[in-house]
Amino acid sequence: MAREQQVTKVFVEVADSLIDDFDLIDFLQRLSERCVELLDVAACGVLLADEHDVLQVLAASDEDTRLLELFALQHDQGPCVDCYRSGEPRTNINLDNPGAEQAWPQFTPAARRSGFASTNSIPMRLRGKVIGALGLFQYSDHHLSDADTALAQALADLATIAILQQRTLAHSETERSQLQYALTSRIVLEQVKGILAERWQVTTDEAFAAFRAYARAHHHQISRLARAIADGEFDTDQIPRTAPHR
Amino acid sequence: MISDGMAEVLRLLERDDGFDAAAEVAARAAEILGVDGLTVSLATGGDQVELMWCTDEAAGQFEDLQFTLGEGPGPDAVRSGAMVLVPDLAQVRPGRWPALTMESADLDARAVFCFPMGIGAIRVGVLTLVRRSPRPLTDGQTGDAQVLAHALTGRALGSAVPGRNGSAVPADTPGTLLQAVVHQATGMVSVQLDVPLPQALLRLRAHAYSSGRPLLDISRDVVARRLRLDLNGNGDGNPLPVSDKD
Repeated sequence: MAREQQVTKVFVEVADSLIDDFDLIDFLQRLSERCVELLDVAACGVLLADEHDVLQVLAASDEDTRLLELFALQHDQGPCVDCYRSGEPRTNINLDNPGAEQAWPQFTPAARRSGFASTNSIPMRLRGKVIGALGLFQYSDHHLSDADTALAQALADLATIAILQQRTLAHSETERSQLQYALTSRIVLEQVKGILAERWQVTTDEAFAAFRAYARAHHHQISRLARAIADGEFDTDQIPRTAPHR
Repeated sequence: MISDGMAEVLRLLERDDGFDAAAEVAARAAEILGVDGLTVSLATGGDQVELMWCTDEAAGQFEDLQFTLGEGPGPDAVRSGAMVLVPDLAQVRPGRWPALTMESADLDARAVFCFPMGIGAIRVGVLTLVRRSPRPLTDGQTGDAQVLAHALTGRALGSAVPGRNGSAVPADTPGTLLQAVVHQATGMVSVQLDVPLPQALLRLRAHAYSSGRPLLDISRDVVARRLRLDLNGNGDGNPLPVSDKD
């Protein structure tokens, strides 16, 4: 697909989010996958600030636990935190550069151990307010062009609009409620990964893969299905388990 | 982000081990938040709640009424895990809480703000602020109330939730509860011990406390199946082999 078509597709998905009964976590996960395709990066994560101003992971292009932890490591240090605080993008940060390790002594070696060579952070902002950051990782020190950065900013802005426009929360109209609701949904999803992993005796990553495949095939919203499982209102035997890898 | 006044309330909360000074702390919190009354209700399974803090009769009556009728901003906040802010009860869309609207006309509550206490699908209770005259909370008051609800959640779950920015609440390690692996471990333990999520998190915390290891390490071991808690919440020391059932 040409890049232009891909971008158009993302905009259509966002338009859906404004009119449809819509699942934020699902949408952000798809958006982060699109970022990987469109910007030619290895991984993308969406980080949102909670009420303590601490960044939390809301979605990632790859829900691998190791990658989630790498994003989570940026809760109080890392390029995404700097980007969130300043509201300015931080692009083309070479992780082998001694300055990177000096600036973020925990984050930088962890990112290198995961095989990443460079990273970028794009602020998520609306009307002058910064609510989080998009984190992008690359395996090589390939530079993002100015056009790439502009596109990344457009995608980050779309994520922001989707978060602040979500209609699923009919009774809470404030921005803060929407941010909090988004984070709560994310934590429910992690708790459900644990529940399914234990019921099925698989890893949490395998449990999520089966869960997501089922949700997508049956047009269930990821957040809503996760909540139903956590509340014991959904029979998880209905979900076909992928065979454990061994 | 958090006001000096709320930081002081959190310090009082921390010092007060047995809730001896609960009335005093609650009254001070109401003052800081600029409201006439404040209640804290703990969820005791299902939709049942138990009043823990109550600064004045009007607030207590409103809380009782909501949970007796099973509708209102409080029950909505507990169910959804999102804040429900009602700056003017007279302006509520008809049909939203029909019974409550009818019954509450005589009560001295004109604005109500409910902050859920919980972590993901774990619902601990709700913090409710009441005003005798209609007026929205300021952003600062909303932020303070969120932080207070967070601290009360930590207390209800037997330990403090990591705080920042002047919060005197002690933490496992900064950001522990931001880590996906803690939520995943909570889900796994709830299945292993056949207990609800809040109890599962308590068992994890209890084990972390008694073994003198950080909650994050304990959680990683549980998710990697290197550690399995027994019914007393102790680790049995033996990694459980992953069974090949099915």
